[in-house]
Amino acid sequence: MFQSRAQKFARRYEKPNPDSRDRSEELKREIGEEETFFSLMRRMAHENKLAVFSAIVILLFILGAVFAPFLTRYSYHDMDLLNRLSAPSAEHLFGTDEAGRDIFTRLLYGSRVSLLTGVVPTILSMLGGAVLGVISGYHGGWADALIMRLADIMLAFPSMLLAMVIMYMLGGGLINVFLTLALVNWASVARIVRSEVLALKETEYVEAARVIGVPERTIMFRHLLPNCLPTMIVLFTLNVPSAILTESSLSFLGLGIQEPRSSWGLMVNAGRQFLYNAPWLSLVPSIAIMLIVLAFNFLGDGLRDVLDPYQKR
Amino acid sequence: MKRKGTIMIACALAGSMLSGASVFAAPAEDGLLRTAIRYDITTMDVAKTTDDYMIPMNVFDRLFETRMTDGTAQVVGSLCTDYTVSEDGLTYDFTLRDGVEFSNGSALTASDVQYTFERLLKAGEENMDIPLEVQGADAVASGEADSLEGFQTADDTHFSITLSEPNAGFTAELSAAAMSIVDEQTMEEVKHFGSDPADTIGTGPYIVTEWKANDHYSLEYNPNYWGEEPSVKKVIVSVIPDAGTQNLMFQNGELDLIDLQTLDSAIVQATYKTMYEDQIVSTPKVGMSYLTFNENQEYLKDVNVRKAISMAVDVDKIIASIYNGDAIRENGIIPSGIWSHNDDFQAPAYDPDGAKKLLADAGYKEGEISFEIAMDSSSDGSIKLVGNAISQQLEQIGIHANVKNYDHAIWLDLRSSSKMDSFVATWGMDYNDPANIMYTFFGNEKNTAQRSLNYPDKEIMQRVAAASAIVDDAQRKAEYQDLEKKIIGEDAAWLPLFETLHLYCKGERVESFTPQWAGFTDFYVTDVVLK
Amino acid sequence: MLHNALQRLLQSILVLLGCALMIFIMLRIIPGNPIAVLMGEHADTAVIERMTAELGLDQPVLIQFFRYIGGALRGDFGTSYSLGKPVSALIASAFVNTLILALMAALFAWVLGVISGIIAAVKKNSILDHLFMGASLLGVSMPVFMTAMLLQYFLSFRLKWFPIAGTDSLAGFLLPAVALGWNSAGSVARLVRSTLLEILEEDYIDTARAKGRGQLGVLVLHALRNAMLPVITMMAIQLSGLLSGAVITETIFAINGIGRLAVQAISARDIPLLQGTVLFSAAIVIIGNFIADSLYNVLDPRIRRRG
Repeated sequence: MFQSRAQKFARRYEKPNPDSRDRSEELKREIGEEETFFSLMRRMAHENKLAVFSAIVILLFILGAVFAPFLTRYSYHDMDLLNRLSAPSAEHLFGTDEAGRDIFTRLLYGSRVSLLTGVVPTILSMLGGAVLGVISGYHGGWADALIMRLADIMLAFPSMLLAMVIMYMLGGGLINVFLTLALVNWASVARIVRSEVLALKETEYVEAARVIGVPERTIMFRHLLPNCLPTMIVLFTLNVPSAILTESSLSFLGLGIQEPRSSWGLMVNAGRQFLYNAPWLSLVPSIAIMLIVLAFNFLGDGLRDVLDPYQKR
Repeated sequence: MKRKGTIMIACALAGSMLSGASVFAAPAEDGLLRTAIRYDITTMDVAKTTDDYMIPMNVFDRLFETRMTDGTAQVVGSLCTDYTVSEDGLTYDFTLRDGVEFSNGSALTASDVQYTFERLLKAGEENMDIPLEVQGADAVASGEADSLEGFQTADDTHFSITLSEPNAGFTAELSAAAMSIVDEQTMEEVKHFGSDPADTIGTGPYIVTEWKANDHYSLEYNPNYWGEEPSVKKVIVSVIPDAGTQNLMFQNGELDLIDLQTLDSAIVQATYKTMYEDQIVSTPKVGMSYLTFNENQEYLKDVNVRKAISMAVDVDKIIASIYNGDAIRENGIIPSGIWSHNDDFQAPAYDPDGAKKLLADAGYKEGEISFEIAMDSSSDGSIKLVGNAISQQLEQIGIHANVKNYDHAIWLDLRSSSKMDSFVATWGMDYNDPANIMYTFFGNEKNTAQRSLNYPDKEIMQRVAAASAIVDDAQRKAEYQDLEKKIIGEDAAWLPLFETLHLYCKGERVESFTPQWAGFTDFYVTDVVLK
Repeated sequence: MLHNALQRLLQSILVLLGCALMIFIMLRIIPGNPIAVLMGEHADTAVIERMTAELGLDQPVLIQFFRYIGGALRGDFGTSYSLGKPVSALIASAFVNTLILALMAALFAWVLGVISGIIAAVKKNSILDHLFMGASLLGVSMPVFMTAMLLQYFLSFRLKWFPIAGTDSLAGFLLPAVALGWNSAGSVARLVRSTLLEILEEDYIDTARAKGRGQLGVLVLHALRNAMLPVITMMAIQLSGLLSGAVITETIFAINGIGRLAVQAISARDIPLLQGTVLFSAAIVIIGNFIADSLYNVLDPRIRRRG
């Protein structure tokens, strides 16, 4: 717990923290005067054009990833060794890499990896972290102590180093990247959810539910968890881009996705040697990573604005 | 007040950063050679490594050296000035060079040579193969005897060695880095031989002056060296893990010599062969890259399948496309550059249709055969592409060869369990004698199971083992070449691929550079001449 | 207060022990014999087996763990397989480089972040504000390897202002520090801006303004002082993050630091070294958090009163 206080303080200015402010508004929202998701989105679209633009960019990446086989006539893995390092042309939009593979194609297939590693492990870690956080916060006692000490331990490791060690333990590959990122990220989610639950626990309606004998499990997962949702959505928007960056860094170091599969980090690493002769090899995937992370960040900013009334702009 | 202090410190730091920026790229001092390696050495002690020979080669001497003279590798005397061999090929009488001192002033005597042999046996770690050939070596290795029975010292400069079996390649073996001569007296006194530069004392042209782990090590000229004074007075070998960074450093003049093997062959072609054409130094990397087949595997156990694969792989095309022609096609087991190499041995010609027919005749349906090619993901640059190229070519005759990359440790584990279907790897020769490759791959059951994946013929193994004892060179050569024909030509146990050329590029400050005879990454610094 | 601090110290030590146990177990699950890697391609199987036994790697994990902790208490973290030197000595020499790099990166990030954050807050919604905030988002979104690569390519390779790699002079640290600090600068700028904006709207600022203080006076005397608390806390956490090793920056610029030591340990399956570096990094983070927390306790009057 002792660590979380300082971190929480720093976080307060970036992320919402319902117990730090006037509770009456918070309660209003809890009790039901909540805007619908749809109206929230509309408000965001109205207030923040950049977020809308980012959403479109992300949508384009998703479309590219889903329809990759229809958008290119090349294979992402078959080598064409007579056609190495050819410059961007009509034939190859972004040129070919050191093994003669079409870079545009590898970029499309690589976007599958980046999008999936952005979303899947983040959902996994949010689910795991939220469940553990709710149990820890509501149940208290030994479960709280156990979960929080485990979280302390996980958070003490620098996340990149921890990810490297877990990746090395599990071996490279997409599924293992998912597992690793989920393992690395659950602890911070658990901590935030726990602090939220600690505050919610004291509210009238939870107490009322307890008094009339609603089972503990129902309170935890029917009443408390849904109330953490706004916080979790904001957390989600922050964790997705950071997961994408971590995957690309792991692959850059050769510990993530393995050849012949494509990943943007892997492409940058393979292309680094050719920076002088064929800069597009590493620049194209680098820019792709930057674009998608930027888009997720802008979208996250927009979402935070509408979901978190305390955040000042 | 406190804050003011912090700001002042901050300003001071910022100031030093800015002033530092102006002194970038300090020019190299005279006599300095700067080069780079990707991974730091593990040790400076040959008893503990089979990889890191740069320091042993330059800080120590051996009885003989294999040096390149007029384009051929020749075994020449170094610390040994003269020797004779008995009729039966068992006993060697050596004369030691007079007046040689170690860099700490201790004199070199015959007992130091004996100590060197016995130390390798007692250490029981790496590189004990060569001293194990001496009579009574087993007893020393197992701890039953303290001194080596077959090593007799006459006086300080004369000694004789008796082998348990004749070995025609013995003097060549003595020139291997493993046989670096150490000083008995120093070894008894110091605690950190091989890890502390001050304790790592040899007779060679250089002294290790510094080894900062994972950063760099440096060598300086040994003023007590018995031989000629070299052109290079100081060497700094930096550890630069990123190949792209090494590339940029060389082009920016921050390195004087770069090992082009660390770079992808495409970059060598595009940058070095165009911009630095006259500065490229190339030498065959004496060794063999090969594809080996597991003879317990469902399909690969059939010699027809193995032969069909050999016919369906277009090695010349692989050399042209992946190596840009910087490799020599190999047909047999013994690579070019080794004295018993067979120039006339022919592999089956590239013939995909013939391969298809062979498979059809043997009763296989198209697409039925599949196996895995295991690649070591830590291996250097281009070889990793070879497995993919082979797989692509085999697809054309309807064989599915699935390339899988393994982490180095897992690859080694898998190989020692003899359960790989097949793998592509490279063997670098340790010394100029065919036994080094023949015995390692086909000499006994254990070696063969791992390295050649369950090659079954025990009779061949016995013949390979016996061949090292044939004293007559011509006879020995004939026997090896006959074995080669059987193993490759008839059994198709391996698909020999090629011997690559090892390319280096010398910088503006280097006049000439002669790589080590076998194309090791490590080289004799005395073979570098600065401008 | 003191009681509180002691309690937190005790907890820190427990967490560190937990970290040690966890990393120890994880590293023992990894398949593949590290000794086989160490000995190289030409090594003999019998030798590998004997070495494995000699190093105690065939013992049960728990016994190995207690031996390790016993050694660690005496300052002995074992000997690196791949570099043949005591792990403690390797970490000590690598940490010097990491320390210089981290301090320079932090300095760059903080100066840039605080200044641009203040300007953005004061000139809220101006072009400068949008420019700085856009740049800070770009900073947060750029992968470190991209920043490092671009800096190395343009400033060192094209313009030849800096060495490509090497840490002989402080100049060698300059580009890596910028590459590394770029990210943190973005988040500092954003935090400074949002904190300042919040404070500038508080009542006492209006009072100060009403008393006739100039914009600058208000900013320096009242707003900044109050905005420092979260910023300092964040900086302490950032610094411990930077000190625990910058894997990618150190690899690209060939700086022998903690992060690269970990990469080296991983590629060579060097268990003692990996164990040592990861544990050391965790210790740095734990100490950093402990300090940040203490700082927070001392600086924030509300907590002091309660505590």
